[in-house]
Amino acid sequence: MKSMIHVENLVKTFKGNVQAVRGVSFSVEEGEFFAFLGPNGAGKSTTIQMITTLLKPTSGRAEIAGFDVMNEPEQIRRVIGVALQETGIDPQLTGRELLEIQGKLFGFQSSVARKRADELLELVGLTEDAHRKCGKYSGGMRRRLDLALTLVQRPKVLFLDEPTTGLDPYNRKLIWEEIRSLNKEQGTTIFLTTQYLEEADELADRISIINEGKIVASGTQENLKASIGADVIDLVFSTEEEARRASALLARFEGEVKQSGSELRLFVEKGPAKLPEIIRQLDQEFITPITLNVSPPSLDDVFLNLTGHTIQAEKLKREESHV
Amino acid sequence: MKIFVKHTWLFTKRSLLNTIRNPFAFIPNMVISLFFLFVYQAGLSGISKLPAFGGASYLAFILPVSIVSGAIGGAGGAGQSLITDLENGYFSRLLLTPASRLAIVLGPIIAGMLQLLVQTMLIMLIGFMMGLKVVTGFGGVVVVLLLAVGWGLAFAGYSVGFALRTKNAQAAQAGTFIFFPLLFLSTTFVPYDLIEAEWLKVAAFINPTTYVFEGMRAVMINGWGESAIWQAFIVIVLFCIATISFAAISARNAVSRG
Repeated sequence: MKSMIHVENLVKTFKGNVQAVRGVSFSVEEGEFFAFLGPNGAGKSTTIQMITTLLKPTSGRAEIAGFDVMNEPEQIRRVIGVALQETGIDPQLTGRELLEIQGKLFGFQSSVARKRADELLELVGLTEDAHRKCGKYSGGMRRRLDLALTLVQRPKVLFLDEPTTGLDPYNRKLIWEEIRSLNKEQGTTIFLTTQYLEEADELADRISIINEGKIVASGTQENLKASIGADVIDLVFSTEEEARRASALLARFEGEVKQSGSELRLFVEKGPAKLPEIIRQLDQEFITPITLNVSPPSLDDVFLNLTGHTIQAEKLKREESHV
Repeated sequence: MKIFVKHTWLFTKRSLLNTIRNPFAFIPNMVISLFFLFVYQAGLSGISKLPAFGGASYLAFILPVSIVSGAIGGAGGAGQSLITDLENGYFSRLLLTPASRLAIVLGPIIAGMLQLLVQTMLIMLIGFMMGLKVVTGFGGVVVVLLLAVGWGLAFAGYSVGFALRTKNAQAAQAGTFIFFPLLFLSTTFVPYDLIEAEWLKVAAFINPTTYVFEGMRAVMINGWGESAIWQAFIVIVLFCIATISFAAISARNAVSRG
């Protein structure tokens, strides 16, 4: 297998010394489905824009299908399909017109461009709306059209920057099915970024977790989860005070305890086996949890373990700092 | 080269389609141009009896103002449409195709020129219906059209460059305010010799629009053999070189932002 995307030490520093990407390296094999998982502002979009020739890296190297991003951008544009976070459509044109223009830009004859447009409209379920101005489409329809536009030239590598952010479950499922079949049936290499754990978990062969411009962990879902080497026990108490007391008590267990408000999260090896002991300890101090849940670790736990906070918390933090 | 022409034409067609589907992008500009023509003709035509006009018809004198105002507005549309593309993300989508960057920028400019050519012909047609006479005949009309398109091209270069540099609709809108000094700090209403204020004389002398006005007037009122005609073309060529270079440099920088 040859590597389809190869990135070495990619750095992007914006004006005002804002370090969006701080030395990212990874490789994606041909036919692989690879995901970048991380919260808003982690550097996912900036990385995609650099490796798809839209943004000049400050330093580092990136190759796609053997072509160098800096020196051979034209060759790269012929083999990649890119759906950016913001859809790229002209609202005054119809879905069909946009697809036909796209085909012609990639050198198709008119008749071929028309046929390809038909196929893709069918594929993303927009045949009936093909003649309507896409400015009148719903958010989900725009996303689907945007995906169709990236597929016109049958790209070898598909870059999808948060393809389902802000979509309803119905449209999310449609997009998932679509990209999964592109990967499994047509062998298209896929690079996807997402802030949704279940999206990365469900679709990808391999995941890199990115936070504050750096990759903090890489591997298959199983590897990543196993890296925690522990099960997760979630406890909810009626007061924060109770949670604090419980936390002090349970700190004696080997493993980690993380408290947020009236909730505790324990990372313990062989979680179910330790449960009676935990209950006994709490009971002796007359602390009773409201809910208790034992589960194998999720990707969010991996993220929490690596960065000290959950993706959800990171997201909220970002949103607050924007206000 | 063949591919380049093909892509440019594809982008031009797309821009024209956009213009036709969104008539509010050009109708107001057209209305303002005609408004200038009617109101100035109705209100000011009496002053053409002054000796400095040398017996010229005021209609022929004021018509270039209407044409140039239309040309500036039409050309500004090219920059405006790029801003729209930048904002709705379509510009990035085009940057990700094998199309040349020049073709992407040229499409809306050519569409803008075609639009303003039609507009100028309409204004002239209305001028003729109001009794306009062009002493140099058909050749003169062609010269006026060429000057209008040339001037439009220069302004389109400016508006596209400005749009790519600011990437912001409000800022680009602010950029078109140069319209007012360009149009009015000139021999807009009266010949150069009748301008009273010394500062306005200086401004009119520097303002390239003055040479466009004078070139159009020369060909309509006085006939060939006037130096104002070739002066107008020289000014336009120089101005086009300046603004189109500005647009090309801005386009290159727009791709590698950050």
